Amino acid sequence: MKKVNLLLVLVMIAALALSACGGGSSKLKIGLVTDVGGVNDKSFNQSAWAGVEKAAKEFGWDAQYIESKQPTDYEKNIDQFATENYDVIVTVGFMMGDATAAKAKQYPKIKFAIIDNAYFPTKDSKACDDTAKDCYADGGLKNVTSLMFQEDQVGFLAGVLAGGMSKTGTICSVAGMEIPPVVRFVVGYQNGAKWIKPETNTLNVYVPSFIDPAKGKETGVSMIGQGCDVIFGVGGNTGNGGLLAAKEAGLMGIGVDVDQYLTYAEVKDILLTSAAKNVDVAVYEYLKTVKSGAVKAGINTANVQNGGVGLAPYHDMDSKIPAEVKTKVDEALKGLKDGSIKTGYQP
Amino acid sequence: MDTSIRKDRLLSQKWLRTLINLGGVLLALVIAWELLNLVIGRQCDGKCITDTLSQMLRVATPIAFAAFCGVVCERAGVVDIGIEGKMLTAAMVAYAVNLFSYQWLQSMMEASAAGTLSRWLALLVGILAALLLALLHAVSSIRFKIDQIISGTVINILALGVTGYFYRQFLAENLPAGPGTFPKIVIPFLADIPVLGPILFRQQPLTYIMILLAFLLHYVLFYTPWGLRTRAVGEHPRAADTLGIDVLKMRYTNVLIGGLIAGLGGVWFTLEAVDVFNPMMTNGLGFIGLAAMIFGKWMPFGALIGALIFGLGNSLTTTVSIYRPDLPSQIPQMLPYLLTIAVLTGVVGRAAPPAADGQAYEKQ
Repeated sequence: MKKVNLLLVLVMIAALALSACGGGSSKLKIGLVTDVGGVNDKSFNQSAWAGVEKAAKEFGWDAQYIESKQPTDYEKNIDQFATENYDVIVTVGFMMGDATAAKAKQYPKIKFAIIDNAYFPTKDSKACDDTAKDCYADGGLKNVTSLMFQEDQVGFLAGVLAGGMSKTGTICSVAGMEIPPVVRFVVGYQNGAKWIKPETNTLNVYVPSFIDPAKGKETGVSMIGQGCDVIFGVGGNTGNGGLLAAKEAGLMGIGVDVDQYLTYAEVKDILLTSAAKNVDVAVYEYLKTVKSGAVKAGINTANVQNGGVGLAPYHDMDSKIPAEVKTKVDEALKGLKDGSIKTGYQP
Repeated sequence: MDTSIRKDRLLSQKWLRTLINLGGVLLALVIAWELLNLVIGRQCDGKCITDTLSQMLRVATPIAFAAFCGVVCERAGVVDIGIEGKMLTAAMVAYAVNLFSYQWLQSMMEASAAGTLSRWLALLVGILAALLLALLHAVSSIRFKIDQIISGTVINILALGVTGYFYRQFLAENLPAGPGTFPKIVIPFLADIPVLGPILFRQQPLTYIMILLAFLLHYVLFYTPWGLRTRAVGEHPRAADTLGIDVLKMRYTNVLIGGLIAGLGGVWFTLEAVDVFNPMMTNGLGFIGLAAMIFGKWMPFGALIGALIFGLGNSLTTTVSIYRPDLPSQIPQMLPYLLTIAVLTGVVGRAAPPAADGQAYEKQ
């Protein structure tokens, strides 16, 4: 009886060990904590890890990642890196905002970078109260750099393309959780489509998960039923499910975060483009400042002006996109750059 | 009293109960429909209704399989909360087998035949993987009498780790193109019936299997010796043992059959819903299936209705979200759970599990 229980415990430990990682050396150590999507999400977690790997290889650092299985893992995973004396911890995603702030205060000697979340003085916020003028400088987050992206800009460009390509005049998006980076994508996308054709009908559904392709696909199927013929998948694997719905119905899709033509072969035939956030570049640039010692707490924003966000190449669709639509996309890009076009996103 | 009269009375009571249950479900549907229209202002037309209902059936499929697994196991007195893990494992195994056997079969036959063959092969291997986990659960909880909840939890954690590991090692990138999901089977004539046709008879194979399984399980559980023994073992194993029923053997069989059924629910994800796999993609539907089973009072049809209600909530979420983008997204997202709570408290009375549910049996 006891033996069997012991056996079960061993099986459990083995199972847990399979889902974690280890490592150790005396060089500068970079740890990355992924969101629940995991490091192979074909999307922004993967991209962030690519940036860390690139920097680590180039500068001869050690790099490790831990995948969060659920939101309650965030703090635990940061703790694990901290107890192993990591020098820099990169946390991926808006959802990790509170955990990162709390842990950055607990470990002031470790440098933190968080993707997609910025801190502003807010009443009763865990990160920093409204008595602070600036969360980073005097709010206690002196060791945190926020890597932000203007998703609304690249979403706008995707919307222009979608609106230009739609035959039915209805475009849609399968979105993940309703959190600021996702909302920025969606709002930009819808306004972009209306910018090129004001009568365009836009549909959107937020699915409360980033890891549910089956639900994403069903959502896509519903919107296709409503006449949508270009689907923008904005929600990790959930959004990918939306792209699968477009593929099955022989329609068009737009990827998100990375050039999904390269990372997501299943849908590459129907991808017009991807609304890319160069998370890898942003992470790499941040780690470069760590190396040079120029690292600063505060918000780094990537936008179309500095090339931090942008549409991926059209790849196979290049010949199918009419020249006038391409011209419109370029026009919108120019307008966003010089500020003559606004995406319509209000925080 | 004459036995035949008593039997008649029993029968009429049973029919009355069924009728009341059906009426309750209908009432719930009507209320749901009216509430829906209050929210979206009668924008949902004929096509939207059939789309929503056929989506309900699709979404309900894995939940129903999970619930059936629960019914088969718990009717024999074994609690199985490892359904989620079995589904996840089956999903991954089926995905991998589908992908790689397709590559291999393609060299021998034309692509469409290879696709069909590899999908069915994947289904078979997928449910066998779930069977292996069920065997682990059976051996640990029946043979070694480990607490069944703990054994189920171990299976869930094990499945999470193992599938995550294999995914990262072999299934994350550089994959060949797969044959895709099961195509829809359109049943001739029946599919042309208005409203019902597109909902019931234009589905993929696992959805049909799920519906047939509900009838089969009901028949087997309540009209065959095997079913009688199963229920006896779940209610009063000592009495069953006294009458010469091999309690442990019954429990083993049922847990293993339950494993196969859970496997069907798992392969749904990667063979019928989407042709991708990612970690944790079953998203807790195994546990929702257990809720559907409790809702259905451990009856196959009850479990099916429970699954359908949850499926309906899900598809309504999408419909409401589409028509009312101005609502905060969390409000439609609450629908499946609100609907479940409303139905649970309003229609279903107290649910009592089989008396010996969750208790290990020690032969004296």
